[in-house]
Parts: sequence; structure tokens; C-alpha cells
Amino acid sequence: MKITLNVNGNLHEINIDPGDYLLEILRDLGYKSVRRSCHSASCGTCTVLVNGKPILSCSTFAASVDGQTIETVEGLSQGEKLHPIQEAILEEGAAQCGYCIPGIVLTGEALLRENPEPSDDDIKLALNGNVCRCTGYESQNRAIKKAAEAMRGDDYE
Amino acid sequence: MPVDERELKSMLGGEDCKIMAGGTDLLVRIRSGRLSPSRIVSLARMKGMDGILDLGEEVSIGSRVTMSELLKCELIAASCPILPMVVREIGSPQIRNRATLAGNLVNASPAGDSIMALYLSNATVVISGVNGERREKVSSFIKGPGRTTLSRDEYVGAILLEKTPGYFPQFYKVGQRSAMAIAVASVGSLISGQEIRMAFGSVAPTVAVPEKACEYFEKAGEKFDDGEFARLAMLAISPIDDVRASAWYRSTVVKNLVQRTLNVWRKKG
Ligand SMILES: Cc1cc2nc3c(=O)[nH]c(=O)nc-3n(C[C@H](O)[C@H](O)[C@H](O)COP(=O)(O)OP(=O)(O)OC[C@H]3O[C@@H](n4cnc5c(N)ncnc54)[C@H](O)[C@@H]3O)c2cc1C
Ligand code: FES
Ligand code: FES
Repeated sequence: MKITLNVNGNLHEINIDPGDYLLEILRDLGYKSVRRSCHSASCGTCTVLVNGKPILSCSTFAASVDGQTIETVEGLSQGEKLHPIQEAILEEGAAQCGYCIPGIVLTGEALLRENPEPSDDDIKLALNGNVCRCTGYESQNRAIKKAAEAMRGDDYE
Repeated sequence: MPVDERELKSMLGGEDCKIMAGGTDLLVRIRSGRLSPSRIVSLARMKGMDGILDLGEEVSIGSRVTMSELLKCELIAASCPILPMVVREIGSPQIRNRATLAGNLVNASPAGDSIMALYLSNATVVISGVNGERREKVSSFIKGPGRTTLSRDEYVGAILLEKTPGYFPQFYKVGQRSAMAIAVASVGSLISGQEIRMAFGSVAPTVAVPEKACEYFEKAGEKFDDGEFARLAMLAISPIDDVRASAWYRSTVVKNLVQRTLNVWRKKG
């Protein structure tokens, strides 16, 4: 079947099998920031935003998001310029191996769009589904908070 | 991907055809090889299943409404506060953005969190099929673990919850780890001056209702005794030993949560 995906503003018209998962389709299209590990909706590394909301691409059929807007980390950074959450993650040393980071950045971004001033608990709850095997989450929670401040600051200037 | 009821009905039936709502259960089971349906009918395009409607005494929740949408709905917060309390505990934002109430119900897991809220809200399941529409109370709709009265050519169109604004809602879930744990045991309740409704998760083949204890609460009056209430409540459960916890641990947890429910209600109610 034929579907259309709008990924980070790029339109892709592709032929897929109705049983194809969004994860593999995105990776085939070159969006390699979308990562696969558990394949069973438990780890969050395959998170992408569909119409602005985080979902797990490993357990979503590509066919079910036909015509919708998808965002991956590639769409957040602009060329060399990193997204404020990415900056903050670097500053806080919140990335070790980095495998979980794209999922965390996207989940954090969705949270901040909805709630620009999240409490520590809000951040913890939002990142509930993103597993990181290297850090203890503290640094990542701090990074999201810091990014939130930076992003609010931008708005007021 | 059917777009209306007529089309949906014509696609159902068949040997191993499966309906998919959010897919958070179905696709995980397919990926792990535990299930391999020959055909999947997705509700993603269905019209008229995505509404939350005020029906006066009841609220109707369409089968495509996601858990995230339930959490944001003011009507539900005001008229069925037990539901968001429970839904908040389900999975992660990623899961809640796809998962539906109807999917949780049809899955019929004894640990299904939102099923607890459905029991407490005396919910009615609206079932449609080629032979028309029928309605059934959630307690008779669920037959056992993973089993419902749904036949192959039927689907759940909506779920109706009784409004319970006058009740004091509580929900406690004990899991192995805070993030996305399947409950080891959970206790939900709604208490008004004269009535208590209670449901237990993960301690029987289906969500369990301690009917004897609830009757005792309503009749005992001055003689009400917490110990007797807990004893009667425990008659409703038949916990098992499994990879997540022992039966003994589960009973102890339930007993403590029942006591906590009474304590918190007395303090606040
Ligand atoms: C990581 C993770 C964490 C989770 N955490 C929790 C948790 O904390 N608590 C909890 O209770 N559950 C949890 N779940 C289970 C799951 O997310 C829920 O059961 C969810 O509500 C299922 O909804 P769905 O729309 O995704 O169902 P689907 O996967 O689409 O369907 C589930 C079943 O219901 C059937 N079905 C769906 N809709 C209909 C309909 N309208 N008519 C007839 N049949 C239908 C399907 O055929 C299938 O058999 C978790 C799952 C994952 C992967
Ligand atoms: S790969 Fe999708 S959640 Fe782990
Ligand atoms: S930094 Fe390695 S998994 Fe998170």
C-alpha cells in the first residue's frame, strides 16, 4: 500500500506492507536517530513524535500514521545548532553511551511544549517510559529543567 | 482500515482476525510471536468512536479515545474522578498516547488498571456486531483472564461510566518498580456516606469485587469493625504465586491497602 509521511517537514510517499512498523520505515528512510532495542514497547529508544505527541515506533504500524506529521531528533537540531535540550544534556553530562538520548530529547520536547514550566515530578513522570542503562536519570532530569529555563528565557527576550 | 460501522462489520469475523485500537498490547504480542493474526482491522480511521459524551447520569467514552485524552478531559475529571486517578498509573506517556480504555478492557487482564475504574463506575459496555447492538455490565462482560463475551464478529463501540462525583475516590497500586510496572496488587475504591465500592487487581483471575465486605459496610452501622471488613474483603481474592510476587505477599499487600483505604477515607471524608 501507498502512504504519505511528513517527517520533519519532508514529504515521503512510500510503498509499504500493511504489517510494516514505523520504526523500520523511518530507519530505511534514513532517520537513524530512531533506535531500536527492546522491540516490545518497554524502553523508549524508538520514541518519535506523531502530531507532537511521543509514541513508540517499534509498536506502531506505519500504515496507522499515514498522512500524519512525524518528528525525529534530526528535525530538532538545525544544522550545527543543537536544540536546547540537547545542549543541556551535554552540559549536564547526561549522555554516556548516548543510545537512549534521542528518545529522551523527543519525550522532553513534547513535555516542554505542553508544560513549559514542569516540576521535578512532571519531568520524572514524563520520562517514565525512557530507560537509560548508563546514567541514574538525575542528570537527565536536571537537563530538561535547565532546557526549560533556557527555552522560556528565549521567549521573553 | 474501515472508516464507518458498516465497513467495520463487513470486515470482522473470519478465523483469526484481530481488531486493533492503540496496538500497545496487540503489537507487543505479535512482535513476541505469541500471536500471529492473518488480518488486523485497525480502528485508526473509524469515525464517531473518538468522542467523550455527557449522557446525563453517565459518560460515554468512545473506543478510540486514548488514555492521554481521558487525562485531559474536564468532564471526566469532574464526574468520574476515579478514572484519571487510575489512568495516570498506566505505562508511560508514550503508551498512554496510544492505549485505549476499550483495549484495556477487551484485554481482560486481572492486572488491567483501568478495568478497576470500570468496575467501580458500574460501567456498561456497548457492543456492536452484524446482529445489532447489545449492552452488558463490565462484570459479566469479562469472563476470565483474557476472556470476554465478545464474539468474533463483534466490537466494543463505547463504554458508559456512571457518574460518581459524590464519592471519595482512592486507588493504590503496588508494583515492582515505579516505572510502568504491572501491578503486583492494587486496590481501588469509591466511598460515600452509606456505600462503599471496592475492586482488587492482580489477586484473582479477573478484577475482583469484595461484595460481602461492601454489604457489611452498608449494614453494620455502629458495630462496624475494620478487622471484620478486611476479613470479608479477603474472601474475594485468590492470589497466586508467580514471577512477580508470592500469594502470601499479595494477600498482605491487599490487607494493608484495604486498611489504608479506610484510614484515608476517615481522615478526609
Ligand atoms: C510498556 C507497557 C506498559 C503497560 N503498562 C500498563 C499498565 O500500567 N496498566 C495496564 O492496565 N496496562 C498496561 N499496558 C497494557 C496496555 O497498554 C493496555 O492494556 C492498553 O489499554 C491496551 O489498549 P490498546 O488500545 O493499545 O489495545 P490494543 O493493543 O489495540 O488491543 C488490545 C486487545 O483488545 C482488542 N480490542 C481493542 N479495541 C477493541 C474494540 N474496540 N473492540 C473489540 N476489541 C478490541 C484487540 O483485538 C486486542 O485483543 C502496558 C503495555 C505496555 C507495552
Ligand atoms: S524499541 Fe520501542 S520501546 Fe524499546
Ligand atoms: S546514556 Fe547510555 S543508555 Fe542512556
